[in-house]
Amino acid sequence: MISRRHILQTTSSGIGWLAFSALAQAKSGLGSKTAHFAARAKRVIFLTMRGGPSHVDLFDYKPELAKRDGKTATLGRDSAGAKLYAPVHEMRQFGGSGQWMTTLYPHLAKHADDLCIINSAHTDLPNHAQAFVQMHTGSFQFVRPSVGAWTLYGLGTENDNLPGFITLNPPADNGGAQNYGSAFLPAICQGTKIGGSQLPDLYAALLKKDTAPGPPMKNIENKNVPRELQREQIDLIRGLNERKMERDGVHPEIEGMIESFELAFRMQSEVPDVLDMRGESEATLKLYGIGQGKDQFARQCLLARRLAEAGVRFIEIASPVQWDHHNRLREQLATCCGATDQPIAALLSDLKARGMLKDTLVVWAGEFGRTPYAQSGDGRDHNNKGYTIWMAGGGVKGGLRYGSTDEIGYRAVENRLHIHDWHATILHLLGLDHTKLTYNHGGRNFRLTNVGGEVATGILG
Amino acid sequence: MKLTRTLGLLFVAVHANGDVGGASLETKPGSVTGAASDTVWSHRPLVMPKKAAQGIDGFIREKLADAGLQPAGPADERVLRRRLSFDLVGLPPSDASDYEKLVDGLLNSPRFGERWGRHWLDVARYAESNGRESNLTFPHAWRYRDYVIDAVNADVPYDRFITEQIAGDLLSAKDDAERARLLIATGFLALGAKGLNEMSPAQFAADVADEQLDAVTRAVMASSIACARCHDHKTDPFSMEDYYGLVGIFKSTQTFYGNWIDSENSNHGHLIRLPEAAGQSIVGKSLPEARVKQLQADLAKLNADEKEQSEYVAKAQAEKRDISGEFNKLLTNSLRILWTRGGVEGALEAVDDKGRARALCMGVQDAKMVDSPLFERGELAQPREVIPRRFPKLFGIEMSVPKDQSGRLELAKWLTSRQNPLTARVMVNRVWRHLFGAGLVRTMDDFGATGEAPSHPELLDYLAVKFMDGGWSVKKLIKEIVMSETYRQASGAYHEVDPDNRLLSHANKRRLDAEVIRDSMLAVSGILDTSRRPGSLVAELDGQSVSLIGFNEKLPKDLDGSRRRSIYLPVIRDHLPDVLEQFDVANPSLVTGDRDVTNVPLQALYLLNGPFVQEMAAALAKRIEKAPNRVQRAFELCFHRRPDAQEMALADQFLQKAAGDDSKSFTAFCQALLCSAEFRFVD
Repeated sequence: MISRRHILQTTSSGIGWLAFSALAQAKSGLGSKTAHFAARAKRVIFLTMRGGPSHVDLFDYKPELAKRDGKTATLGRDSAGAKLYAPVHEMRQFGGSGQWMTTLYPHLAKHADDLCIINSAHTDLPNHAQAFVQMHTGSFQFVRPSVGAWTLYGLGTENDNLPGFITLNPPADNGGAQNYGSAFLPAICQGTKIGGSQLPDLYAALLKKDTAPGPPMKNIENKNVPRELQREQIDLIRGLNERKMERDGVHPEIEGMIESFELAFRMQSEVPDVLDMRGESEATLKLYGIGQGKDQFARQCLLARRLAEAGVRFIEIASPVQWDHHNRLREQLATCCGATDQPIAALLSDLKARGMLKDTLVVWAGEFGRTPYAQSGDGRDHNNKGYTIWMAGGGVKGGLRYGSTDEIGYRAVENRLHIHDWHATILHLLGLDHTKLTYNHGGRNFRLTNVGGEVATGILG
Repeated sequence: MKLTRTLGLLFVAVHANGDVGGASLETKPGSVTGAASDTVWSHRPLVMPKKAAQGIDGFIREKLADAGLQPAGPADERVLRRRLSFDLVGLPPSDASDYEKLVDGLLNSPRFGERWGRHWLDVARYAESNGRESNLTFPHAWRYRDYVIDAVNADVPYDRFITEQIAGDLLSAKDDAERARLLIATGFLALGAKGLNEMSPAQFAADVADEQLDAVTRAVMASSIACARCHDHKTDPFSMEDYYGLVGIFKSTQTFYGNWIDSENSNHGHLIRLPEAAGQSIVGKSLPEARVKQLQADLAKLNADEKEQSEYVAKAQAEKRDISGEFNKLLTNSLRILWTRGGVEGALEAVDDKGRARALCMGVQDAKMVDSPLFERGELAQPREVIPRRFPKLFGIEMSVPKDQSGRLELAKWLTSRQNPLTARVMVNRVWRHLFGAGLVRTMDDFGATGEAPSHPELLDYLAVKFMDGGWSVKKLIKEIVMSETYRQASGAYHEVDPDNRLLSHANKRRLDAEVIRDSMLAVSGILDTSRRPGSLVAELDGQSVSLIGFNEKLPKDLDGSRRRSIYLPVIRDHLPDVLEQFDVANPSLVTGDRDVTNVPLQALYLLNGPFVQEMAAALAKRIEKAPNRVQRAFELCFHRRPDAQEMALADQFLQKAAGDDSKSFTAFCQALLCSAEFRFVD
């Protein structure tokens, strides 16, 4: 019978040294692996604010922009004739560190001293699809593994009974599964999607069906096939698949399928408990704002904490609201902040209370920011040249403002942080050297940061 | 083209900064590749390459030789038959015969249209509900689905196929049946996801036109001209003037999608009545005549209520009387009238005066002719100069829009002109992808500067020119490809110099599409019903909202429960049948030429525990449990080969260990075969 070892050894271009050494020891799945150097973070919770949140209204306060409100912008044809547009809601300083933030985030503002706000992010293109994929994979053009897949590949999983990379309600557009895909990395590194067709809040509340223990998880049990028989069945499937691999020579997809069935079998015992939020205390539910209507995102944040606790390495949550505010910015920004403020703040508080914030890196980011000039009267266009992301916990300096844009918030100018730099920094926090985390595909060593990427050492706590 | 040039610089920068050395085969980006040209590769004129005589295999071998690679040699006959059958009709192979006869038989099988029609439905973002915030059903969308299947089976030339879908209503028809077919074809333009709760009719119209323009240009040209709504295209040579010239064509068009006004929808869609004599099947529900009378009375009453309230308000205004205290009451009454009337009108539209259900379809018709102003940054509040309806100034095609028509017919002519190099290139690439697992251009839906350049540009052009020369026949194109030695070669080992097999030194092992996996399970279990489903499950749902679909006890939880082919399963946006969802069906809101292929434990859970797979396993077990060599028979049905000694041993071992309830363990055995990698892979 062919073994995984055998496959690895016969594939000259096989798996990188990290995976190899870990696989040699691990019994099953990916096992937990040793990092390149001391890790500050063990896991990542990535809060994806899709659509491009307006940094100049949320985290990048520009007095000059406020002052020049209504003046014509002089930034080329795209802004032709457009007028600069002051922040649509009040911004203030919060916390001992005096972080500038919107007043639309009253809960999050209490964590101002936990946030490392990076004002100097930039990315290559101002189109949703390309920028969204680049944010996840480093490349807007080629199919490459996502940052979650690289993380899992580099560090392995802490819980053999759960996928190491879980993505909650990811958008189907803007690159779809590519954003949690493993590309040429082993299939087991791929993100597993949970949720996607939850009931709209209104109906759930109306029909009193909002007591569901967690997101829908179909096919997690089998009433007809007893567990022992299913175990035998999976062994048979494995045997057939290994036989096919033997005939085919190398077939990494089948390797992935074998692991999938093993993981699926183990998931049946653990997933129902992880997803069942009924055991959470009243206080916790209240903290997140669950049970107060409009609580889909709150449930996802709580679930993210549960998954983190259970040992999932990389958890991604897509914001249920779109931040693509070409018009009605004033109103929509308030809606989006309202829908995400309390749950995100609760997640930070909850992680902190459990002593987990110090080794959980929480990341908040959209695919780009928005222009300082107006569109449709009360709106802003896409801006990839300068925008804001923030990180918290996991070894970053809290209460820090890093980098800056020009005087109106259009272009990153100081301590510029490209997507590659940002990815390099995330990997660094996880104890991985982005130049060493490589995978040989076709005789060429690939990495998340391509040939770019510089760790932003200034943000390390 | 200044933007293209700037982008060229960007790409040079990305590239210099980008690819780590050693990858000689990494395809370069679609734009400037070294030479100082500022044309996107796909816009260059399409001419037959000099070496046309060498055919597909010649073009492939040329590049293999350059890279020092050998072709893998022919595939085993059994493997090839299986590959061909899945590729052409999406079902396991039946009897063996001469290869060419087999090809012809499959191309002429009615099952062919159900397989290749589905590929087009991916591109056409076909769905039976609106999706987005107001997910209302499209109970008549299935007519378009059937139109596509029939057109693909009839091998309607691709230029005509495109023309029918964009401008079928403007074409002449020899009889009512033909007229009906052409009206249904325009459903393509009506199927998009709309912002139905948009309150401004002008914004709604602009957004619908934008979606139509986007769908047409992505589907046919793999280009995203709609980017130029707000600014000149960032990477391709499309200006805002090009966009507004085209969008006027769609703004001069009325879209019939059939959703009536209610709390989720502010924009009544109406439907097109098909000619009565056309012999269309009618699946809608008829109403008792008395009910029709009642609805008509209700409508009259609602109109009267509305009139009364308007008069009341007008009078108060005339008398300068302050009625602001009654605002809530008046508003509630207005909404009652508006939302109730929507439902009544919707119900009346679906039946005649006697209550008999009408034959209706989604689609488009010409409306009042309008030219659109250019809107600065896409904002309706910022109109600039009016752009007469026209086509992008590309490819040297001279085409103008008549004053008294929308221009959709001319748009179709512009797209299918021999001088338009994109249409044929994009289509042959789509076909190639379905036969090899990857396109010659891997970015199927992006032939612009941010996409990839082709691996074999000459082969692509050879196929494109030949496709047009062959009367745009998709079947001829498929036949030429599947007759090639390149298609018929064995799936071989991985080569380090070409890890992604871009040069096709061997066939790719491919996972089957979701529909094929499901249909094959039905086929091997012997319970596949190959008849066409009349209408659709969606046409049988009550009301138009799908928000509550999870609570509809009449529906199977996995939205399946059918033994017909998967193309007939309901396509409700955001509520897809489990099997399709798990195995990466195309997102029905997006033009999709290339589906994802994921490999995750949720698929394993579906295969192990999903009710459909358990049912199929039971049916397969029942079909063969009495057979003398039931294990061997199971292998033959599932894999089209006999088990080898090791596999026999595995089977025996399983059946012995799992002994007890024999029928239960044999069912579990059959399920294991359905779960195996071999079942859902072609070699």
